[in-house]
Amino acid sequence: MRDKPQRGYRHLRMVMVLVLCAFGLLPLAAMLAAGFLAQQRAFDARTRNALEAMVKNRKATIDLFLDQKMRQLELVALAAPAADLARPGRLAAVRDEMQREAGGIVDLGLLSAAGRHLAYVGPYDLMGNDYSGQPWFQQVLVRGRYLSDVFLGFRRFPHVVIAVKQREAGRDFVLRATLDMDHLTAMVREGALESGTDVFVLNRAGEYQIVAGDPHRLMEKADAPPPPLHSGVRVAEVRRAGRRDLVATAWLRGETWVLVGRQVVPRLVSIAWGPPILAVALAGLILVPACAYLIARRGLRQIRGVEEERAKLHESVAQSEKLAAIGRLAATTAHEINNPLAIIAAQVGVLQDTVRATDFLAEYPELQDRLTKIAAQVERGKTVTHRLLGFSRSVAPPVESVDVAGTLDETVSFVAKEAQESAITFVREYEADVPPVVSNRAQMQQVFLNVIDNAIDAIGRDGRIGLQVRCARGGVEVLATDSGPGIREADLERIFEPFYSTKESESRHCGLGLAICRETMRSLGGRITAANNEGGGAAFIMWFPVHQVR
Amino acid sequence: MRALRLLLVDDEAEFLEPTAERLARRGIECATVESGQDALRALQNLQFDCLVVDVRMPGMDGLELLRLIRRDHAALPVILLTGHASIELGVRGMDLGAFEYLLKPVDLDELLDTVRRAVAAAGAMTDT
Repeated sequence: MRDKPQRGYRHLRMVMVLVLCAFGLLPLAAMLAAGFLAQQRAFDARTRNALEAMVKNRKATIDLFLDQKMRQLELVALAAPAADLARPGRLAAVRDEMQREAGGIVDLGLLSAAGRHLAYVGPYDLMGNDYSGQPWFQQVLVRGRYLSDVFLGFRRFPHVVIAVKQREAGRDFVLRATLDMDHLTAMVREGALESGTDVFVLNRAGEYQIVAGDPHRLMEKADAPPPPLHSGVRVAEVRRAGRRDLVATAWLRGETWVLVGRQVVPRLVSIAWGPPILAVALAGLILVPACAYLIARRGLRQIRGVEEERAKLHESVAQSEKLAAIGRLAATTAHEINNPLAIIAAQVGVLQDTVRATDFLAEYPELQDRLTKIAAQVERGKTVTHRLLGFSRSVAPPVESVDVAGTLDETVSFVAKEAQESAITFVREYEADVPPVVSNRAQMQQVFLNVIDNAIDAIGRDGRIGLQVRCARGGVEVLATDSGPGIREADLERIFEPFYSTKESESRHCGLGLAICRETMRSLGGRITAANNEGGGAAFIMWFPVHQVR
Repeated sequence: MRALRLLLVDDEAEFLEPTAERLARRGIECATVESGQDALRALQNLQFDCLVVDVRMPGMDGLELLRLIRRDHAALPVILLTGHASIELGVRGMDLGAFEYLLKPVDLDELLDTVRRAVAAAGAMTDT
């Protein structure tokens, strides 16, 4: 019985803790999430700005370089006649001049319109080659000036050329320079690259032209196509393979190449949390559940207190109802028995009168004795029914001034003979100057008699009954102890309940005695409790108030 | 001194008859009736010193009878007798002017004593 509510409380407490935790942790989580997002956004913006600035910067550098080289080439083509350039040593001097300004040139060649070298300075042996079939050569003849994509050419090595056409006395010449790939790469790389950053140049076909990192990618197709043409720097976010990339693009001057800067945006977890935020989060994680638990426990304790009080009240109401019902039953039963008892008594009385007046006795000597026995049994039945009626009568007993010790002595005298036969002695300890109490003597006696009867029954043979009268708690206390076996712990609570009897063998006890005692004590404004002596045996404590409080 | 005249009212004939016989043996003129109506009829024709009335009777109960008696016989002592003792009944009986309230089964001597006291009290009241 007791376990079920316990489990119910535990469940309720768990629910309360969870709900309270949720209410406490939700704002904390929301705050952290908001902080997280804000931090991420700030970080994104910073990454974006840095990337944009870098791409813008490098575009300017590369544009400037290519522009410069093209102009130098044009200047040379304009200033020096082809015949002059074709002279031995002259082209080498021009190359040295060009190298002195910013460098970046690998070789220099002067070609006829037929695609044959008129002169060449550089590390490769290219003099005999026919360039008329080369795409770049055809492009420069058509366009006048040209920047090639990376290609292998006759030297079988990736390189980029810039070339200009010069018409001189009706004949076309082409002046061509090979750009230094290392120089271009250095311009793209420019300083240490941040981790997760990739910078490269693509042509319109989406092939790598210049790469800051892995050089093996050169001339290979990039995994993303080049963006559509646009001016300035454009930054976009690209999601791929579960990560976020920021991609900044800028078309270089001439719009044949596009500079791409790609930055991997770090994932949320890799964002560093500041110590204050961590401290708040940690404190919340510890404090919120702790507080939730404490609040739930406190709340439940109150609920439990109220429920227990209610249960107690209910129990006491149920007990009163039970007693009232028993009282009604007792009264009805007593009435039903009293009437036949009255008839028997009357009839026996007539017989007794008759016997006394006539000489029946000569004929039947035991008749008088037998009639007396019937009358005695009627008297016994009457005692029982009158006691039962006493039980039902719990309203305002007559009040008088009662000497407790005297009443107790008188009660003892009723049972003295029975006790003597059972070798039971009474040990009396009465305090002097015990005041009389306002009570009902007959009812008090009924209680004493019941308790002493019980004690005699409990002892059986050979024993002691201790009786003490003393002042206690504004009243008079009577302590009755016996040398019997005592009361089982389990019975202590229940012996005052109606129909509860520990005397299995004796049928003359209906189990109402102590219940009636308790009711009587209550109606007298006092109380009766049971306990066990330390030295063995039972103890009954009866307390009567000096003045009745009702 | 003439014999006391007593009217016993009880629905139980088994109780009335032996009780009346015992009282008669003790020098009391005892009439018996088994209902309230019979009791009122008897009172119209005869004089009684005292009434002993059972409270619980079918039809008119003892308290109702007591109330009706009090209309014409203000001083007639009435003793209530019942197998059912309750403070409420006792208080109501006393309020209606019963002399005493006795619980069945009653000791004959106690009844006699109560009757004598009731008659004496009534006599004292009428004398003064």
